[in-house]
Amino acid sequence: MNFKALLMGATWAIGLALSPITAIAQNSGGNLVYLVQPEPPSLASFLSTSGPIGLVAPKIYDGLFDYDTDLQIVPSLAESYEVSEDGKTVTFKLRQGVVWHDGAPFTSADVAFTVMDVLKQVHPRGPNSFREVTSIDTPDDYTAVFNLENPAPYMLRALSVYESPMVPKHLLEGQDPRNSDLATNPVGTGPFRFVEWRKGQYIRLDKNENYWKPGLPLLDRIVGRFIPDASTRTAAMENGEVMYGAYGAIPNIDAVRLREMDGFSVTTDGYAMINPMALIEFNTTKPPFDNPAMRRAVSLVMDRQFLIDNIWFGYGKPATSALSSNFDKVGLYRSGLPNYPATGDLEAAIKELDDAGIMPDADGVRASITLDLIPYGEDWRRAGEYMKQAMKPLGIEVELRYEDVPTWLNRIYAEYDFEMNVNYFYQLPDPVLGVHRHYGTDQIRQGTHFVNSSRYSNPELDALLAAGAQEPDATKRAEIYGEIQEILATDMPVANLFEMEFLTVYNDKLADHATSAMGAYGPFENASITE
Amino acid sequence: MEGSKRRARYVLKRLIQAVPIVLAIVVLNFFLLQLAEGDAVDVLAGEAGSATPEYMAELREKFGLDKPLIVQLGVYLKNVVTLDLGYSFRHDMPVSQLVFDRFIPTLLLMTSTIFLAVGLGIVLGLVAASGLNTWRDTAISIFALITYATPLFWVGLMLIVVFSLNLGWFPTSGMEDFAMFYEGWDRVVDIAHHLVLPTITLSLFYLALYTRLMRASMLEQAGQDYVTTARAKGLTERRIVFVHVLRNALLPVVTMAGVQVGALIGGSVIVESVFAWPGLGMLAFEALFARDLNLLLGIFLLSAVLVVAVNLVVDIIYSTLDPRIEMA
Repeated sequence: MNFKALLMGATWAIGLALSPITAIAQNSGGNLVYLVQPEPPSLASFLSTSGPIGLVAPKIYDGLFDYDTDLQIVPSLAESYEVSEDGKTVTFKLRQGVVWHDGAPFTSADVAFTVMDVLKQVHPRGPNSFREVTSIDTPDDYTAVFNLENPAPYMLRALSVYESPMVPKHLLEGQDPRNSDLATNPVGTGPFRFVEWRKGQYIRLDKNENYWKPGLPLLDRIVGRFIPDASTRTAAMENGEVMYGAYGAIPNIDAVRLREMDGFSVTTDGYAMINPMALIEFNTTKPPFDNPAMRRAVSLVMDRQFLIDNIWFGYGKPATSALSSNFDKVGLYRSGLPNYPATGDLEAAIKELDDAGIMPDADGVRASITLDLIPYGEDWRRAGEYMKQAMKPLGIEVELRYEDVPTWLNRIYAEYDFEMNVNYFYQLPDPVLGVHRHYGTDQIRQGTHFVNSSRYSNPELDALLAAGAQEPDATKRAEIYGEIQEILATDMPVANLFEMEFLTVYNDKLADHATSAMGAYGPFENASITE
Repeated sequence: MEGSKRRARYVLKRLIQAVPIVLAIVVLNFFLLQLAEGDAVDVLAGEAGSATPEYMAELREKFGLDKPLIVQLGVYLKNVVTLDLGYSFRHDMPVSQLVFDRFIPTLLLMTSTIFLAVGLGIVLGLVAASGLNTWRDTAISIFALITYATPLFWVGLMLIVVFSLNLGWFPTSGMEDFAMFYEGWDRVVDIAHHLVLPTITLSLFYLALYTRLMRASMLEQAGQDYVTTARAKGLTERRIVFVHVLRNALLPVVTMAGVQVGALIGGSVIVESVFAWPGLGMLAFEALFARDLNLLLGIFLLSAVLVVAVNLVVDIIYSTLDPRIEMA
């Protein structure tokens, strides 16, 4: 039995003047209803990294690895792994006796099929994560040998159930994985099995009685509910109808209120693998932002702390580099870079423009631009209003533009018809997975979303990115990424604003929902409800 | 016998007239929706994170979005004629199944709302008219004005705050209790329990309309000659009101109800959104933002068909209420 669960159960029991034994007895079992927002388009996590899919599918599937809260590897379907001396062969020893929800055994053939025929082919990020994998040998049912073209240390960070779910070969083989029944009727090896999806209402998962972790999962059932209105989501949480909401399902404005109430908690844990970063993308191919001085000036003038304090209710951390400070854990983050003042530096920004010879006209205007805003909610709109004001003393006149999602995506990533765009990117657990796509020349891919829309191209940086991806030695790798961050702090094709902290709001009756680095995108096998 | 034959012929004629109307609506909607920028593939790929241009081209081919517009329309019309509403690629389900699944909750909400709003509206209008300029009339008029002027989402949220959070009488949202999954009669009771707040919220708005309409209509009829005649015959006031005036006064109310049933079928995005009620309104709303055109067209088509059908039913009710109105 899990110690923390026991402790929480006991605390509750004392609080409710019940005997601790009752609380412990009820610790196993129970039905968890949680918020899934918005309703996912499918449950094909092998095909789409859409946020709401990540809230459900990881409960059904398993990955080769899990990651603990310090981002260290925890064995999951792979019991152990071994990297060869030259870094070009990675051997996974798989867990024995694992079965799919339909009863078929899980073997190395499933692993080879998943990576080579599914993730590497159709997953949005899979072709990047597994780009060095040339083939996978399966000498026996429980050994999978990945043969790599070049060393790929970052690959070992992309094996979570959210990023790379293992899918059943016997249900997908011979079909187009983009068009299979598995997308809406998933069959995995995970702690919960799929039961029913009522469109517009809920997705129901029941306990997998044959789960390979003994005694788990603790919950009998988990139900993901879709509630379109944010105020109603909060009311449902307050009323105990739902017990868990992550990724801003409960808006910050309500979260800070619930935080003060008895029986509810708010946490920023569980997002370490995601590393969301709020930022501004500049169109570097046309005036005025083809001039790096303009881009630096915008980065200099932004009061990042103001945005965090006033719009995100204090949740967030000013960005200080192209990489999130979370990469400090793996030694890749470099501190002390110029052009990222936490509270804004108007004088430095003005000097930057003056030095570059960008002078104000008779009306004090140096440039008139349009600022596009990511259409993912009111917070971004407010951020845009702040930025408009912040840039005015600099002589930059700003028009705000807020469109619906398809129009915006089309404008930024297909038409490139923008000057400045506020956005956020997941940096993921390794820069190769989440950051390279923003800066590499090979990532200027017209029509592909969330890649290098700035169309920044720098051969020197490209060489460093390529070297950084393959370098197995940690110290050398840190050196390479240090250089990358220096270049980006000066050239500033993208101005990082702040490291976002998503909020998870939960009912205190729910224990142990964030036992891995995956948080809401994790399996919930240790979660339990204490009465 | 003659009457029923004529009625059947009339219904048939109206149905035949409806076919070109519905088709015109489909074509018009089709082109209207093309005006929106971006398509379903943009949205799907955007949600997925990074997708390659090849993958997006493949998706467009699969969805048939790479074909010329006129071909797309042709394919759609051909499908509609064979009663195939097409496929929602976003939901990975046939449109007809999606729409049908969401139609039942809409029907529940719509029926209960219409009954509550029309029923109570008639009663209140009647009470107000029969006590003209008394405190009852004033109170009812003020009540109607306030409910009509208050935004629906606010009413919904306030009802949630009072009756769910403070009193704990009703659940905040949804159509069923998803922790329990009741079956049989328990489920019916559970759904009814969840239906109460959305119905009240949506009814309050329409209730005001019917109250005002009924009151005005009653007053208008009360000044008619036949009322004077009835009074001269020595009929009691009660009999005059309930047998003579009421029946005539109901006609405009029925017309109004007919028009609004059509509007209600489309679902109420606001009430469905606030109460997470799984109706057609939300489905259409989400489909618009996902550029799921097949699904949107399917919903529009269903609404168009139902509006035509409801109007027909209203005309038939009309002739029953007032035999002077003939069907031709």
